[in-house]
Amino acid sequence: MSTDNQPALHTSSDEPTTALSDEVVVPDPAEAVDRLAMLELEEVSLSYHAHKKSFDHGTHHVLNQVSLQLYEGETLGIIGRNGVGKTTLLRLMAGILAPTLGKVHIHPGKSASLLTLGLGFKADLSGRDNALLAAMLQGSSRKQAKSFLPSIQEFSELGDSFYEPVKDYSSGMRARLAFTTALMTHVDILLVDEILSVGDAHFREKAESAMKSRITGGQTVVFVSHMAEQVKKLCDRVVWLDKGKVLAMGPAAEVVDAYTQHVKEARIAAREKNVVATG
Amino acid sequence: MPFLQYIRLADTMARMALRADAARYFLGYIWWVLEPLLWVGVFYLVFVVLLDSREPNFMIFLATGKLAFVWFSKTVSQAGNSIVNGRGLVGKISVPMTLFPMAVVQESLYRQAAVFVMLAALLINDGYEVTLTWWYLVPLILVYYVLILACSFIGACLVCIARDFSQMITLGVMFLLFMSGIFWDVRALDDPVKTQLVLDLNPLCFILDAFRQIMMYNTPPDMVHLAAIGAGFGAVLCVMVLIMRGGGQYLALKALTA
Repeated sequence: MSTDNQPALHTSSDEPTTALSDEVVVPDPAEAVDRLAMLELEEVSLSYHAHKKSFDHGTHHVLNQVSLQLYEGETLGIIGRNGVGKTTLLRLMAGILAPTLGKVHIHPGKSASLLTLGLGFKADLSGRDNALLAAMLQGSSRKQAKSFLPSIQEFSELGDSFYEPVKDYSSGMRARLAFTTALMTHVDILLVDEILSVGDAHFREKAESAMKSRITGGQTVVFVSHMAEQVKKLCDRVVWLDKGKVLAMGPAAEVVDAYTQHVKEARIAAREKNVVATG
Repeated sequence: MPFLQYIRLADTMARMALRADAARYFLGYIWWVLEPLLWVGVFYLVFVVLLDSREPNFMIFLATGKLAFVWFSKTVSQAGNSIVNGRGLVGKISVPMTLFPMAVVQESLYRQAAVFVMLAALLINDGYEVTLTWWYLVPLILVYYVLILACSFIGACLVCIARDFSQMITLGVMFLLFMSGIFWDVRALDDPVKTQLVLDLNPLCFILDAFRQIMMYNTPPDMVHLAAIGAGFGAVLCVMVLIMRGGGQYLALKALTA
């Protein structure tokens, strides 16, 4: 997929200064207008009252004034450490949660949904029953869901075990079933959360190539991960999220490299601090 | 989500939950009738053998009230926690929040069908006759279903907002067990005005009494009263659906973060 028309790397004005700020390139607005924005987040913030008063007077701020656009057919990566709000961002895009402030616009008639592993799996039920239920929860009718079953059985390579209870599966078999049922989601915007780290090497490769064929087939995808190389390989554009804010947004290679560099520096700094403390 | 697809999904969730439940226990589906049978056995032991109750048919009287009440108590207790227990799904898919209590209600509808069949068998075995009056069970069960659905939706919402409501539902169900004329006959109160007052104020008491009137005494229930209960809880149900539809994302946040 071409990245020619992507808005270039930029950082938002009120962010903490990082090494990245030297590389700021302002996007050409004319280029962005050409493409259909499937989904747009406008100054979106999300906070909630936690029971424990450990946050700001009990209020936990998850996202803080996040703005971004998702264009038709692109694969947008969201990268950042654990707990920076990546999953919450996907939940907002999927319409599961509503923002406390700001707006989430989705293009009329378009649907967004999370690609989720092991949706409501019940260990006592067979792989077949779980697959049927998962497909229905993802919006298929019972008839459609039943028609998916042979292909799920085939792709997951479960054979006759498909009819055995999931509790008797190995973790690899579970992962295969989970990924395959998740792949049955058919929506305009596919939101993927850390999905490709499943199963053994052989199946991981198969899963990755299935994902890639979706992406090259024109599917609009938002892909969340903390595995930098995977994001670089699969995405056109990347958003770097830190402490609930957009730290950088732009072409995948540039943002991922900056992120990797940042993580490396942070690790070295932590090690040095540790040496000073213990020395 | 289209209504038909919603109903099918809730129904599939219910069937799968039942199948998983049956697979978990050695006796499987037998538990559906074994549990009510054990209740009846305990009633027999306590009231017939130990207390030597002088009232005729007291065991059948108790069994009818208790086994009809079980539908309400089990469903509402379980449905109260349904959204919170389903937060694994809530965080992943955008579905109507009513789906979770709805699946629970559907699940216990299937279980209760077995209980009602067993209750009828118990009555027939004891010499009671199945008459045309039993047709009144159809509107009665329908109204009871609407009441259970409305209470389940309210409970599921409240527990989402504060987990404390789960404790209150458990207590509330226990209080209703004693207040709804299961162990005592509302019609045997010394003052008829008091009887009417209890029947008017406690719809559950009216419904349980109606089961006895139909199945034991061959008497149709007060249909106007029954229709009023149906309309009242039907309206509550509609309001709850609107609230849960409008506040779905709020409930999801509450279920995920509290």
